[in-house]
Amino acid sequence: MAASLELPSYLDLAPAVRERFARIDARSVVLEVKRVEKRFRSPRGEDVVALHDISFDVHRREFIAVIGPSGCGKSTLNRIIAGLDHPTSGELLLDGRPVSEPGPDRGMVFQSYTLFPWLTVKKNVMFGLQMSGRGGVAESEALQWLEMVGLSDFAHLYPKQLSGGMKQRVAIARALANRPRILLMDEPFGALDAQTRCAMQSYLLQIWENVDITILFVTHDLDEAIYLADRIVVLGRQPGHVKEIISVPVPRPRSPEQLISPHFIATRKRLDDLIHAQDVDAKEIPIPRLTPVGDDVL
Amino acid sequence: MSARRVPWLAVHQDLGARRRAVLGVLAFLLPLAIWSAFSYLPFLWHPKMLVLDAGDTYLGEGKRYDEAAFHEANAQAAVEGKAPARGEPANPVFLPAPHEVALALVLGFQEPPQNDSDSWLHERIAESLRVIFWGFFWASVVGVPLGVLCGSFMLFARLTEPFVDFIRYMPAPAFGTLLVAILGTQAAPKVAVIFVGTFFQMVLVLANTTRQMDRGLLEAAQTLGADNRKLLTHVVVPGVLPRLYIDMRILLGWAWTYLIVAELIGEKSGITAYIQQQGRYFNFDKVYAGIILIGLLGLFTDQVLQALGRRLFPWEADAAAGPSVLGRVRAFARQARGLEVRAPAQSTGA
Repeated sequence: MAASLELPSYLDLAPAVRERFARIDARSVVLEVKRVEKRFRSPRGEDVVALHDISFDVHRREFIAVIGPSGCGKSTLNRIIAGLDHPTSGELLLDGRPVSEPGPDRGMVFQSYTLFPWLTVKKNVMFGLQMSGRGGVAESEALQWLEMVGLSDFAHLYPKQLSGGMKQRVAIARALANRPRILLMDEPFGALDAQTRCAMQSYLLQIWENVDITILFVTHDLDEAIYLADRIVVLGRQPGHVKEIISVPVPRPRSPEQLISPHFIATRKRLDDLIHAQDVDAKEIPIPRLTPVGDDVL
Repeated sequence: MSARRVPWLAVHQDLGARRRAVLGVLAFLLPLAIWSAFSYLPFLWHPKMLVLDAGDTYLGEGKRYDEAAFHEANAQAAVEGKAPARGEPANPVFLPAPHEVALALVLGFQEPPQNDSDSWLHERIAESLRVIFWGFFWASVVGVPLGVLCGSFMLFARLTEPFVDFIRYMPAPAFGTLLVAILGTQAAPKVAVIFVGTFFQMVLVLANTTRQMDRGLLEAAQTLGADNRKLLTHVVVPGVLPRLYIDMRILLGWAWTYLIVAELIGEKSGITAYIQQQGRYFNFDKVYAGIILIGLLGLFTDQVLQALGRRLFPWEADAAAGPSVLGRVRAFARQARGLEVRAPAQSTGA
C-alpha cells in the first residue's frame, strides 16, 4: 500500500457521527454483558479459559458487531448470550434482568440456516409465535414478516427449495416475528457466496432501519463489521478478551461506496492491526523456488 | 443431444434413468434366465432320468433315478429280453422348471387343501399376515415411543438400553418353547415371537436415529421459545419422522424373517405350514411357489410403504426416493451389527 495515503484517525468522529453516538448512548441499555468468563476442561484435562472478563453494553437499536480471529470465542460469547451456553462466571442482563436460559426475547440467526425442513416457509416463520401461545395471530404476522423480507411468493415452499440467501432471509423473518429484544446473528452470511453476501448486508441494514431492533452481529469479516455496525467489539484470543471497542466513524446511511471512504479505510486498518498483531499464522513463510521462472515474473 | 455418454463402468456416477431401469429389469431377468437354462436345456446338468414308460423293468413311472441306475435296469432288461424303460434327462425333484412354479403359484389358490382340517392357501396367507401385523403392531406401539424417548433423553437411554442391548443378543426363536408354554399353541406365541424379534432391535435402532437429530434445529427452536415438551413434540418428532419411517420399513423386513420361525412353533400355521406340507409330499413346485409368495408379499408391502412415505414426507421428496434407500439399508446393517455411535450432528457456530 502506498505510504503516502493520508488517512484520518479512526478516532476522529465527524460532528454528525458524534451526535449519533450521543443519541445512541442516551437510549436505554438493552443488553449488559458483565465480566463474563468461560472456562472448560480440555480433553487432556487442562483448564482452558475461552473467554476472560468480557464486558460491554448494547443500547437500544444499536447495531453492534463482534469480531476477532478464529478461536477467540466470539461464537461462544454469542451462544452464551442466547442462553445456549452458560458462563462460568459473570452475568448477562437483558433490560436489567439477569438471563441464563434460551428464550424468545433473544432471537438468533445461525450460519447454518437451521430452518425446520418439515415446515413450509410460512410455518417456519409462525413457529415462534405458536410456541409462545400466540398461534391465533401467527399466520397474519408471519405473512407480514415474509413480505418485509420479500418472500411472500415463497410462503408455501419448503426450505429445501430455496437458495442460501433466501433461507437466511426466512431465518431473519422467523427470528424477528417473535419480536425479540435483541437479534443475535452468528456469522449469518458466512456460508453465502460473495455477491449474495453483499446483497444480504444491504438488506439487513434496510430491515434494521425499518424495525425497532437491536442487533449483535458476530463475524470474522472486517469489512462486513464496519459496513454494518455502530460499534465493533474487537476480541483477542487465548484467552478471548475485549481488546477494544471501536465506534465506527463512518456516517449513516451506509452504502457500498463508503467501502473506499478514508474513514472506512482508517477503521479497517485499525482492525487489521488489532486482529493480526498476534496472528502467528500470518507471518511470512519462506517459499523455496522449485522451478526456474522467467525474468518477466516481477 | 448429450455430448458424452457416461461409460457403463464409471466410478460413482449416475447412469441415467433409462439405463437404471434397464438394469433393474435385468436384475430379475438374469437369475430367471439362468434358472430357465438349467431347466430347459437338457444338456445342462440334468443328472437324473425321468421314467416315461417303465417297460418291463422294476422302475416306477414318473419317478426320477440316477442315470447309472436307469441304464443298469435297461441293461438287465436287455439281457432278459424284456422291454426297456423309456426316459428323458431330468433335474432332481427339488429343482422344478419356472413354468411349473408359475403354474403352482396360480393353481395353489384353486386347489382345495389335502386334508379337510387344513386351510386353503389364501387362508394360510391371511394367517401369516395377521401374525406379522399384530406382532409388528404391538412392537411398534411400545417400541416407537420408547425409542424416541431413549434417543431424546439420556435418562431413558441409560435406564433401558443396556438391558435391551442384552436381550437383543438372545435370538427370538430361543423364546419359542417358553412362549408356547405361557401363551398356548395358537396365534399368541407366534405374535409374541415377532414382537420379541423386532421390539428390542426397534428400540435401539430408533433411539440411534433419533440421536442423530440436527442439534442446530433444537437450538434454533429453543431461541424461538420452545420449552422442553414442545421441543420433543414439535421439533424432535417431526424432525426424525422420515428417517424413523425408513427404519420401520427395514424392521418390517426383519419381522418377515421371524415369521417362519414363529409359524413353526406350537401348531404350525400360515405359509410356512403350507411350504412344509408340500415339501413332505415332494411338491417342490409348490414349495418354491410358497417361498416366492413370501418374497412377493414383502416386496409389495415395502413398495406400498415407500410410495406412502413420499406422500407423507413431501419435504424429503428427493431423499425418500430411489437409491438412497439402499444406502440407508446398508447404513442400517452396519448400525445393527455394531450399533456404532456416529458423531453427533454438527452443531452450529464456528
